[in-house]
Amino acid sequence: MTSGALGMEPETVGADESRSPRTRDSVPVGELLFALFMLALGLFALIGVFGIRVPAGAQVGPTVFPIMVSVILIGASLAVLVGLFRGHRAAPEEGEDIDENLSTDWWTLLKIVALVVAHLLLLEYIGWAPAAAILFGGVAWTLGAKRWWMALSVGLVLALAIQIVFGGLLGLSLPWGPLFGWLGGFF
Amino acid sequence: MDSWTLLLEGFATALQPQYLVFAFLGVLLGTAVGVLPGIGPAMTVALLLPLTYTLEPAAALITFAGIYYGGMYGGSTTSILLNTPGESASIVTAIEGNKMAKMGKGAAALATAAIGSFIAGTIATVGLTLLAPVLARFAVNLGPADYVALIVIAFITVGALLGSSVSRGMVSLGVGLFMGLVGTEILSGQQRYTMGLLPLADGIDVVLVAVGLFAVGETLYVAARLRHGPIKLIPVARGWRSWMTREDWRRSWKPWLRGSAIGFPIGTIPAGGADVATFLSYAAERKLSKNKSEFGHGAIEGVAGPEAANNAAAAGVLVPLLTLGLPTTATAAIIITAFQSYGIQPGPQLFTNQPALVWALVASLYIGNVILLVLNLPLVGMWVKLLQIPRPYLYAGILMFAAFGAFALNFATIDILILLIIGVLGYFMRRYGYPVAPLVVGMILGPMGEAQLRRALQISQGDLSALVTSPFAAGAYGVLALLIVGGLWLKRRQRRYELALTESIAVPIKADSEVV
Repeated sequence: MTSGALGMEPETVGADESRSPRTRDSVPVGELLFALFMLALGLFALIGVFGIRVPAGAQVGPTVFPIMVSVILIGASLAVLVGLFRGHRAAPEEGEDIDENLSTDWWTLLKIVALVVAHLLLLEYIGWAPAAAILFGGVAWTLGAKRWWMALSVGLVLALAIQIVFGGLLGLSLPWGPLFGWLGGFF
Repeated sequence: MDSWTLLLEGFATALQPQYLVFAFLGVLLGTAVGVLPGIGPAMTVALLLPLTYTLEPAAALITFAGIYYGGMYGGSTTSILLNTPGESASIVTAIEGNKMAKMGKGAAALATAAIGSFIAGTIATVGLTLLAPVLARFAVNLGPADYVALIVIAFITVGALLGSSVSRGMVSLGVGLFMGLVGTEILSGQQRYTMGLLPLADGIDVVLVAVGLFAVGETLYVAARLRHGPIKLIPVARGWRSWMTREDWRRSWKPWLRGSAIGFPIGTIPAGGADVATFLSYAAERKLSKNKSEFGHGAIEGVAGPEAANNAAAAGVLVPLLTLGLPTTATAAIIITAFQSYGIQPGPQLFTNQPALVWALVASLYIGNVILLVLNLPLVGMWVKLLQIPRPYLYAGILMFAAFGAFALNFATIDILILLIIGVLGYFMRRYGYPVAPLVVGMILGPMGEAQLRRALQISQGDLSALVTSPFAAGAYGVLALLIVGGLWLKRRQRRYELALTESIAVPIKADSEVV
């Protein structure tokens, strides 16, 4: 490879912004929305400053730092937005288990989020270990584990191990639930 | 010398059988979790944090030191043995180590990484032993304005240098600072940004943010585009004899020492942490090597040097962490959280107030290094097994453990919800190229920065010029300018270099000078 070939790559153009060579012509809707969301967060922080009560006689009140933070957030997200309009696209993170040729599977993401919500709603009623087993089994199955009963049983064994070690032996108060209440009686 | 007696006392503590067991467990768990694909050092430390909740401070810190070093080392095993592109942070090791493994020299690559990590870790810990007490004595005299300067440096370097885009890094930092603001403000007792919600009155727990961003965010990110099909591992020849030949030793020892010399100083300054050190070491080895043509095709120097630099930087990061209370990487930010959850505030007072604890920690770093070496080479077979865990089960396990860690904080289900929300934020940040590390660092440093800023301005009666007139602060801002210019230059160079390197796998390198 020569330096000439290097120079042709768009990757080497900016020192601060990395440009991805792919899909530059389409409008990056998701990126735009996220940057706008960040801008909104900055504006929310700035507006929120007026809701903070400043005690009388304070030399440097509790609003000074929030104003600085809002300015950083607003300024930086504006810079991202300007960059986006000028064609500076983000370089998404890479990873060992990521297939970059696949498109995002929103359905899988939704199922995982739903499983975590189910876990937190259930755990006080059915106990920590069963709720954790459902989370484990559900996520494993969603991600392509072949046998759902296997995923669920592995999850239950793991969850019970955690509950016995941390709940039983080390004294963290994880709810045992009706199913394993008898087990909790041992500790 | 005084600190040596204290260090010996530290060893006396850390060598007690029960603490040795904790150190051993920490290294074992840290390496085991660090080896798991998709889990970097920051995530390892965040995930294993709940394990230490129930331990007393000394045992918890010793376990934690083991987890830190183990997690740092574990990643290199992954990149050497796994036949998929690794994290960009360890890309240079991944390339050389992976090529070596493909040539059947995987055992040598693992061995040079392990021994190099041990040597570099030990040298850097000696550096820490010598430097930290001196720095702590100096830091005691720093005023609030000086701390503001240091924290501003940390903000800007972390925001601008971690990750590939400066503006996105600063957004990430801003979100972290904002999250640090949520809750009841200490000095005046005013609620900020709680929207009247009771769970937010105490603020957002940093552990939730770290675990949410790293464990949940990463799991969601992988889940959306999971690589299906069989896991491709590179087989490694077993047995002691095949580890390192005489030739391998001859070619490795200098890179180990150079890597340590590069890694430790870079780790101590806020300049992007281990990534930059790894890259610099690789570039140096490539320039100095007599076997330039082997680089990009499995040169042992390209594994030995960067791995050593990586571990030396990991120890170097502990210097500002322990003496100034300043985290300069995401991993360091999580370690600060761990310290705080044991009721320990890192900073210059730590060395005078709790010398026994600090020196036990430093001693356990030496011990952890030895355990790491003893453990890693014989257990390669076990790490290989870990790499083969079916991915659905692996990520289901990570998510379950993350939910456990969140719930175990306060035994409140609302914490799991906050964890999930932060995880979703982490997913979108990864997807759109925002680095998550500045967020974690900003969240830890934000409240510290605010407290020091207000203290400084209170002393000066609101006079802003007091922030820059102290000689130390003025010097610090000067250094900041240099750091940013130098850091950005390095980043740019690193990116070009890595790009060139990735291409060089397909095309043989023609002339070395054209790449650098």
